[in-house]
Amino acid sequence: MLFTTLNFVVFLVVVLGFFYIFPRSWRRYLLLAASLFFYMAWNAKFVVLILSLITIDFFAALWIVHKQGRRRRTALLLSLCANIGLLGYFKYTNFLRDTFLHILHPGAAVQPLDIILPLGISFHTFQSISYVIDVYRGEQPAIRSYVDYALFVAFFPQLVAGPIVRAREFFANYFNWVRPTGEEWQRGFALILTGYVKKLIFADRFALVADRYYSNPAATPGLLPAWSGTIAFALQIFFDFSGYTDIAIGVALLFGFHFPENFRRPYLSASITEFWRRWHMTLSRWLRDYIYISLGGNRRGKLRTWANLMATMLLGGLWHGANWNFVIWGGYHGAVLAIERVVWGREEKRGLVRIPLTVLTFGIVCVGWVFFRAKTLSGALYVLGQMFSGQTGTLLLSPLQIELAIATLVVALAEEYGSALTRLGYSPLWVRTAATVIALLSIELFTASDRTIPFVYFQF
Amino acid sequence: MDSNEIKAAINALSPEQRRELLAWLKERNRPLWLAWLSRLRAKSKPARIPPGLRRAVAGTLVGLIAFAVVEAAIFRSGWYGKYLEPVSMAGQMEYHLFWLRRMPPQKVPDVLVLGDSRIAEGFSVRIASAAVAGRVHFVNLAMLGSTPRVWYYTLRNIGKDLNRFSAIVIPFVRYSDLDAGEDLPNRVSDLNFLAAHLHWSDCRDFARSFTDTEVRRDALAECLFRGVALRPDIYEFLSDIPHRLKRAKDWRNNGLAYSEGYTGRPEDLKGLTMDEVSGTIQFPPGAKQSQIDTARATLTPPVVPQTGAVTAYRRRWIGAILELLKTSPARVIFIQIPNAPLPLADSTVPAQFIDSVKVNPRLTVLPVDTFRDVQRPELFFDGMHLNSTGRRLFSVELAKAVVPILETK
Repeated sequence: MLFTTLNFVVFLVVVLGFFYIFPRSWRRYLLLAASLFFYMAWNAKFVVLILSLITIDFFAALWIVHKQGRRRRTALLLSLCANIGLLGYFKYTNFLRDTFLHILHPGAAVQPLDIILPLGISFHTFQSISYVIDVYRGEQPAIRSYVDYALFVAFFPQLVAGPIVRAREFFANYFNWVRPTGEEWQRGFALILTGYVKKLIFADRFALVADRYYSNPAATPGLLPAWSGTIAFALQIFFDFSGYTDIAIGVALLFGFHFPENFRRPYLSASITEFWRRWHMTLSRWLRDYIYISLGGNRRGKLRTWANLMATMLLGGLWHGANWNFVIWGGYHGAVLAIERVVWGREEKRGLVRIPLTVLTFGIVCVGWVFFRAKTLSGALYVLGQMFSGQTGTLLLSPLQIELAIATLVVALAEEYGSALTRLGYSPLWVRTAATVIALLSIELFTASDRTIPFVYFQF
Repeated sequence: MDSNEIKAAINALSPEQRRELLAWLKERNRPLWLAWLSRLRAKSKPARIPPGLRRAVAGTLVGLIAFAVVEAAIFRSGWYGKYLEPVSMAGQMEYHLFWLRRMPPQKVPDVLVLGDSRIAEGFSVRIASAAVAGRVHFVNLAMLGSTPRVWYYTLRNIGKDLNRFSAIVIPFVRYSDLDAGEDLPNRVSDLNFLAAHLHWSDCRDFARSFTDTEVRRDALAECLFRGVALRPDIYEFLSDIPHRLKRAKDWRNNGLAYSEGYTGRPEDLKGLTMDEVSGTIQFPPGAKQSQIDTARATLTPPVVPQTGAVTAYRRRWIGAILELLKTSPARVIFIQIPNAPLPLADSTVPAQFIDSVKVNPRLTVLPVDTFRDVQRPELFFDGMHLNSTGRRLFSVELAKAVVPILETK
């Protein structure tokens, strides 16, 4: 059940209605049932998988709390093995098999195994792992109710593609639940509308260009097609994923849950370090807390810090997809982060110098997106070759798409320096009503495609 | 009071009173537009105070209702319908209904002829009326690509004006309920015809008339939100608004004359033959691919399992038309149109639907072979459509077949 379908809208209205009608003690059962229904709408069989993981992690956490010494560690390892093992099986079996077979029999065609990637597995396993590790570290008490824990993992707004919510954030909100205030409701509704506009009008429109270019880059050689196709993808993935996140955060707010921010105008970053503080913030935070810091972070000298950065980003790349292109993408970002650390340190730049640095950072990010979007390594290298070739070619973006890109920049700057969109959510009723009408009419009339284009991050 | 007295009075004021006085003077001396703006800001301030959840939900509902009102004002009030592209599917229906509403009353009986492109190409109201010396006024409501589902909603939207018709002619490609593999219940193009004309109350039944889940969902969405269905038309409209406004106006004023003045296409299929035993078709030299494809489709239709789908579809939609016309004075006339450029043997699949309704005293089913003499290659411009000569012949024959029916009590 995609967020962009009529089915989801009906589902949301029904669940929301029952949520506020039901007595408080019933609501957690309602939300869990709705979340499992939401998951089963994609593939009913896989509900067994998610429930198994929930069960293992739930009992592992209780075991960790009740046992001492090595047994605690055994429980942690058991949970990690279950999570990483299942994630590894579903996501990386074909990748590893393919790699080994290519080493053993170079040039031979490899038929992939028919393994379906369960929806949202990368996200909910990360949430589960963070919970069990936090319990092990003593930063989070073990949850005593199975239903409460299951709801933390399976809560439908964030089940499929995040944001990756930490247990202490979720349960602080959950155990002290209060009705959303009027402002929160307004903000939630505004976020949902913003998310739909981002996804259906902006992301899907840029997707048309990016898909056309990357389906056959050789058909339109030259640097203009390569840059315009890649910039279109950069805008597509931003609007797609941040649109999804806006809807998820907005839906959660309507239920009185506060999810963390996931995107903060990442393309206005003046360095890659800043970019990762603004892009998929909950994943960056997860990688920092559970990989980078676990590896020693920056406490063991410069060389080790760079190595830790590189390892974290390589794993981050691999998390995105079982493909060497994603590993290279992660490695590329790790390398740029390490170079920045050497050249500039961690300080954020201020003043006018940000303008050229922002343009440069966007260019560096776009080069990375080539590995992310191209189907093969050779395809990525071809596109990169075209981006820096002498041949010009023709621009793939239409005037409308260029106008949308400029509008994006203007709105992003207005939000960055004046919180324009945020203030719109708190404006007088007539302003909000006008904004709602414009947003809904725009969605009705200017949705880019008649077919439903799935969210990019669903494949991860 | 002189200025010294004023100063003294001010000095006697408390600091609080002085501040109030200063604020009043500032407000008094401010330009009108600034004063208005500050009042507006002051009014908007309470909204910044966190309102209660109920007020916020009510605000959301107000937004949604406002959207529904604006959407209805654009697409359901008939405003946008006036500017639809005339030769689009939705446009054809819109303009036909527009012309019908403005058609002056006639002294002779009106006969409405429904149909798709075969009737649009093959039937001329001018030739038909002339063939019966103006004793009948024909109205051609044929729309390219339309189906019985579209015809039902078209007639329903004509409303009370339906009573002006003495007869309504409903064409069949064949009377037989032969299933030729076309998935009529899920014909997506029906959405394009009807999107601008369905009411909210139609949406449930309309969506349910599609059997495919995805099409059903699209049908529901397009019925609820007309803008979704009209999206391509709107993009075209926005790309050149003056041109569309001019074209729509011209079509409203002159489109009926253009349509009635159409004389048909001159090409033919002279030389087309078929060996009925082997099914081998001999095409005339220089035949175009579209002529070959359409002739193959009509002369050798695909053999598919007979599931009764055609019977069910006809029961649903032609049945609905008969039900709709139950209270109107109009006679209903079923005809089997010239359906191929060669005379074909009758299908062995029975005409179950027609057999089940022909007891209706106001229904006349013309014999299956009424227009068979028109099924000649020299009268067709492709495998499905009559050419200008065929158009003349068929129009005359149909007019002459209809008049006696109108004259019988």
